[in-house]
Amino acid sequence: MHPFSTLTLGIFVAGYITARWDLVTRLYELAIFAWDYGVVSRAAKGFAVLTFVFLAVFIPVQRLATLEANLHPRSPGSGDRSSWLATPPLSVMPEHDGLMRVFWPADLPRSNLKGVVVGWRNSALDVFVVAILDEVEPRNVESALKLGTLFRNAPHPVSRIYELCGQSSLYVLGLSNTPETVEVDPSWVRVTTGPGHRVPSVSCARASSIQIILFERPLPGRMQYISLNPIALALGDKQDSFRNYFSESGEEEEEKQERLNKKKKQQLVEKLKDHSVIRHVPSAKERALAKIVNQMNWAWELEKLIQKNVSRIGTRPKRSLSVSERVVESATTMRDMALVWLWDLMVVYALPIIRRTFVMGLICHRIAAEMMLRVLEWRARPRYAALKDISATAQQVEIRLQQFCYWPMQYVTLRLRKNDWESVTTSHPDYIRFYNSLWLVANDVIIGIALGSYIIDNSDWVAEEISRLLSTYTVEALQSSISWLMGWPAGLKLNTELAEFLGDLFLWVIDYWSSCIETLHPALPHIVSIIGFSSFAGASMPIALLSDLLSILTIHIYSFYLASARIFHWQLNILISLFHLFRGKKHNVLRNRIDSCDYDLDQLLVGTILFTLLFYLLPTVVVFYLNFAIARMAIISLKAVFDTMLSCLNHFPLFALMLRIKDPRRLPGGIRFELRDTQDFRIAFRDPPRQLPSTSVIYLKSTPLNFKAMFHQYFQMGNRIRKHYLSPRVLLCLLTGKFVPPLNRKNLYSLQYSMLPARRAGVMEMWDAVNSLPGPKRRAMPIYVPALANGKRIPSNYGGGRSRSYA
Amino acid sequence: MLTTPPHLYIRRPSPTTAEFTVTTCPPLTIPLRLALLALLTLRITVVLSVIIALYAQFASPPPPPPPNRTTTTTILSHLSTASLLDALLALQTSPPGQSITRLASALPASVLALACAGLLYAGLLLRLHTTESVLVLRGLGIQIQTSSHTAGAGGSARFIPTAKIQDVLINEAFKGFEVRYYLVVVVEGEEDVVVVFPRLLPGRRIVEAVWRGVRGCLYEPGEGGRKDGGVER
Repeated sequence: MHPFSTLTLGIFVAGYITARWDLVTRLYELAIFAWDYGVVSRAAKGFAVLTFVFLAVFIPVQRLATLEANLHPRSPGSGDRSSWLATPPLSVMPEHDGLMRVFWPADLPRSNLKGVVVGWRNSALDVFVVAILDEVEPRNVESALKLGTLFRNAPHPVSRIYELCGQSSLYVLGLSNTPETVEVDPSWVRVTTGPGHRVPSVSCARASSIQIILFERPLPGRMQYISLNPIALALGDKQDSFRNYFSESGEEEEEKQERLNKKKKQQLVEKLKDHSVIRHVPSAKERALAKIVNQMNWAWELEKLIQKNVSRIGTRPKRSLSVSERVVESATTMRDMALVWLWDLMVVYALPIIRRTFVMGLICHRIAAEMMLRVLEWRARPRYAALKDISATAQQVEIRLQQFCYWPMQYVTLRLRKNDWESVTTSHPDYIRFYNSLWLVANDVIIGIALGSYIIDNSDWVAEEISRLLSTYTVEALQSSISWLMGWPAGLKLNTELAEFLGDLFLWVIDYWSSCIETLHPALPHIVSIIGFSSFAGASMPIALLSDLLSILTIHIYSFYLASARIFHWQLNILISLFHLFRGKKHNVLRNRIDSCDYDLDQLLVGTILFTLLFYLLPTVVVFYLNFAIARMAIISLKAVFDTMLSCLNHFPLFALMLRIKDPRRLPGGIRFELRDTQDFRIAFRDPPRQLPSTSVIYLKSTPLNFKAMFHQYFQMGNRIRKHYLSPRVLLCLLTGKFVPPLNRKNLYSLQYSMLPARRAGVMEMWDAVNSLPGPKRRAMPIYVPALANGKRIPSNYGGGRSRSYA
Repeated sequence: MLTTPPHLYIRRPSPTTAEFTVTTCPPLTIPLRLALLALLTLRITVVLSVIIALYAQFASPPPPPPPNRTTTTTILSHLSTASLLDALLALQTSPPGQSITRLASALPASVLALACAGLLYAGLLLRLHTTESVLVLRGLGIQIQTSSHTAGAGGSARFIPTAKIQDVLINEAFKGFEVRYYLVVVVEGEEDVVVVFPRLLPGRRIVEAVWRGVRGCLYEPGEGGRKDGGVER
C-alpha cells in the first residue's frame, strides 16, 4: 500500500474513533462480558474439535479420492473427445516427416490458467514461443498482434525487432490449458502446463513427433546472450591486413612453409567435396538456426513488453480515477516533478559547458597524439625500420597512444548502444574489449605507481645494484671467460698465438667499454629516477625502458658476437671450398652444384697446406664464437622475458576472466544440447487427456567460452616464438656462424595490436563521432498528466495507457 | 573387470532424436559396485598416505604428542586445524603411518615430491571410464561429446549445425600396427574433419551401427539414395 494512502486511512480511522467513542466503549464492555462467561474457551474447544475432524477424516478421504481418480483417468468431455479424435487426422495429414520443433523458454512463468501462446513461426512446424498470455481470447490476441497493440509504449522502434528476428510479425501459436472440447486451428499447438510441470506437454494435429527444446532466456539487461560462434575477444579485421603487410615486407621462411601447407590442405578439402555424392539441400528448419538464436536473445525483452501490454487486449477497462486516487497520484508526482525540474536545469546550463571543455581537451590530446605517432612511425625509406620497430619504449608509447585514440571511438559506439534495444548483441564484444583495455591501463598505472615510488625512494641503492650487476656480468664475467679461453681451457690445446691475439683484441675493447660505463656511473641514479618517474605512466613503461637500457648497455656483447660470428663463418666457408679442392671438386656457382675440376699441382699443394692450417686454427675461433653466442642468447632470452611481461601487462584478458567467473553467460562460446529422459516427463502427465505424440525433450545450453580460446592469442604468440627460435634453421645458423635474426618486433606484437583497429580514426573523424553523440535525454515527465487538466503539458511518451508509464 | 571393451547404448525418445553413447563402463551390477567401492577406499588410503608422507618429510619433525587432551569434545572442536593436525599426528604414529614415514625419509625430497604428485593425480583426478557420445537432432545438427581424462573437468562438447555438415562417413586409418574404422563428420569450410568417438575409436560393428543411425535420424526420409547402405571407404 502506498504510504500516502496508509496515512489517509490512519487519519480516517482515528477520526472515526474519536467521533463515535461510545461505540468503542460498548465493544470493550462486550469483550469483557464474553471473557467473564467463558465464551472464548468454549469457542477455542469447538475450533480444536473441528480441526481434528478435518485432519483425521476429510483430508484422507480427499487423498483417496484423487488417487482413485488418477487410476482411472476420465477426460471431462469424453463424448466430444471421440469426435475430436475422429475428425482432425482425416482433415490434416502430418506434413513432411511430421516433425514439429517447439522452442520453449524454460523460465517462462507457469500457470494453470487458460492462455494463448504467442511467438514466432519460423516455418509451418517450427515454432518459437515468446509468451503465454493468460485469460484472453485468441481472436482478440490475433487482432491485437495485427494492430500492434502489444508493442505500445515500446522504448525503441519496433521494426528493429522484426528485422533482427527475421520474421514479419508475431503469431498466435496455440492455446494453453484449454479443454479438448474447444475447436482449434489444426496448425495450432495445445499446451498443458502448470506450476508442477517443469516441461510442458505439447501436441499438434499436424505433427507426428515433437522436439521440445527448452532454453534459459539470456537476460539482455545483464548483457547475457547466446551465440553460435565463440565470442571474439580480439578485433577481427586485424589479421588479414597484418598478413598482407607481411607478404609485402618479405615473409620469412616458415611463414612461406605454413602458407604452402595451408594451400595443400585447401586442395584436399576441395577434393573431399567431390566425395559426397548427393548434395543435401538444407531445409527451412535447418537454415533457421541463426535466426532462432537471435530470437532467443530477444525472448526476454519481448515477453516483458508484451506482458506489460496484455491489459490492452480486448475491451479496454474504462475507469477514471477516483478522487482519493487522484489525490495520492498528484501528491506523489509532486516530488518527481521537482526532481525533473532540477535535472532539467542541470542539463540545460551546466552540462553543455562541461561537455564542451571535455571534448576540446580530448581533441587537443588527439592532435598531440597524432604528432607523436607520426614521429614514431616515420621511416626514412619504406623498407627501413621505424623508431617503434627498434625500441621497446617507443613501441609501448605507441600502443598507449593508439589506445587513447581508439577509446573515444569505442565509447561512442557503446553509447549508441543505449539508443537501441538491449537485446541487440553486436556491441557486447566491443564492450568487453573497451573495459578490458581500460582496466588493464588502470591496473598498469596502479602497479606502476607502487613500483615507481619504490624506485624513486631507493634510487641510489637501485643504481648501485644496476652498476654492480653490469660490471659483474657484462665486464668481469666476460673478461674472466676470455682469459680462461686464452690459457688452454679445459685441457683443450688451442693455438696459443691466435687465442692470445683474439683474446687481447676483445679484452682491449672491453676495457674501453668499461671505462665508458665508468663515466656513465654518476649519471646512473638520475637515469634510475627517470625510469621511476616514467612508471607513473604504467608499470609497462619502466619495463620497456629497462629492456631498451639492456640492449644499449650490452651493445659490446652484440658487436663481439657479430665479429666472432663473421670470422667463424668466413673460416668455415673457406674450409668447405678448400675441402672441395682437396677432393678435386669445385662448387659451380652458375648451376649451384659440385663439379669435378682438374687443379694444377701447385694449386692443390697450396690449397691443401692452407686447408690444414685453417683446420687446426678452427677450434680456437669456435671457442670464442661459442662464448659470445651463448652470451648473446642469454641476452635475447632476458629480453624475451621482458617482452612477455609487457604483453601480459598490455593484453591480459583480465575483464574476460572476471566475467567468466562472475557471469559465464556473458561470454558465450557456442551452444550445447542435452537430451533429457522422457520417462519422468511422461509420469508427470499421468492422466493424458489424449495420446501424446512421441516427444523428445532437449535442453539447449549456452557453453561459456573456454580458457583455451581466451588465451588463444598467447598460444599463437608462443607458437610463433617457438617456431622462430627453436627451429632447426636457427640451430644451423648457430652452427655455421650465420647471423641469427631476432624475431621481428611486429610479429611479436601482433598480439597487442589485435586489440586495436587496423587503421586509426583521424582527428576529424573523431571530432564528428564525438559530436554525433546524442545529448543526455531530457528525462520525460514521469507521470501522465491527464489531458483534461489544462491541456498544456503532454509528455512525449504519452500513450494513452495507464497513468504511470514509468514504474 | 572394472572396464569393458567399448559398447554402444542408444537412447531414442522419438524417431527424430537419438543419442548414441559408447562407453567402457560395464552395467552396474552388485559385484561391480562392490569393486568400485573398494577402489574408492583404496584411493582414499593412497591420498591419506601421500599426505602423511608429505607431512613427515616437509613439515617440522613431529613434536611429542600433546598430553593436555581437552576433555570437552564437541563437533566444532573436531573441525579446527589443531585437532586436524592432532589426527594427522595420530595417523602418523600408528604402525602403517610409521612405515610410511620411514619410507619417505629414505627417499630424497625431489623423488618423493614427484612420486607424491603422481600418486595424488592417480588418486584424486584420474577417471576410470571413458564415455563418448553423439547426439543427433533432426533439423538442428550433430553434437559430439567426450568425457575428459580427469575427474574435475567436465567433458567437451561440440555442436555442428546441419547446414554446415557436408557429409558423415566411415573412414579407415592406420593406428600403430592396426587398421581402425572411424566415423567422420566433414564440416563445410573447415580444414579438419571431426572424428566421432576420438578417444575410444570403437570397432567396425559399432561404428557402422552408429553411422546408419545417424544417417537415418539426421535427414528426412524423403531424400532417396541416402540410406542405401554400404560403407564408404
